Amino acid sequence: MAVQRFRTIEEMAAAPVVVPPGDGFERFARHCARYWAIAPRVYPRGVFRFRTLAEAQAARERVADDSTARSRPRRSPAS
Amino acid sequence: MLRVLRAFEQEALEYVLIGAAAMGFHGLVRATEDLDIFIRATPENVERLKRAFRAAYGGDPNVDEISAVDLLGDYPAVRYYPPSGDLYFDVMTRLGEVASYETVAAETKEVQGIRVSVATPSALYRLKKGTVRPLDRQDAEALRRRFDLKEE
Repeated sequence: MAVQRFRTIEEMAAAPVVVPPGDGFERFARHCARYWAIAPRVYPRGVFRFRTLAEAQAARERVADDSTARSRPRRSPAS
Repeated sequence: MLRVLRAFEQEALEYVLIGAAAMGFHGLVRATEDLDIFIRATPENVERLKRAFRAAYGGDPNVDEISAVDLLGDYPAVRYYPPSGDLYFDVMTRLGEVASYETVAAETKEVQGIRVSVATPSALYRLKKGTVRPLDRQDAEALRRRFDLKEE
């Protein structure tokens, strides 16, 4: 598929890129490394346990929100 | 990532890789923050997992908090954030009533000499199409198109 169409930026960002399967994992690892460099996250440390996937998903979103909040530049107070 | 996959192999962990990393093996590349795996739900296998994490992450003492009692009991999903801080692991023994290590079809792939147990495209499709995250539904659609899978 030479051209893919997207209705939103979010849809485009999430769409997987199709590559030959032979080197797919190494490309995936490089892609993640770039992503982590561009958008560094701050994760907690350790082990967390969940009864359901919904619980796990909610925790993931909380961590992502905290991380995003931390990465935003602080505005200096108006003088 | 490769260091952990190598440790899984060295410890003979019984696992199957799902999620975005598995999609990468099948040639569908997108970034992710986590590695998702199903493991066989036995106390021995949970010990293998812990040994592999310790080997990969310099004996991180947090690994001791991973418990077979949890994973085989009321907490079938455990998230481990290693000290490297660059990614995390979602380890599952079952997903709802139907998905587990035993029910997810897998094939062996190889990367840099490491043998990796990876969910097949159709198994990934089945796991992803029923979930609530838009991202998963998008993955399911990409898998269906790429591998000409029948819509279920």
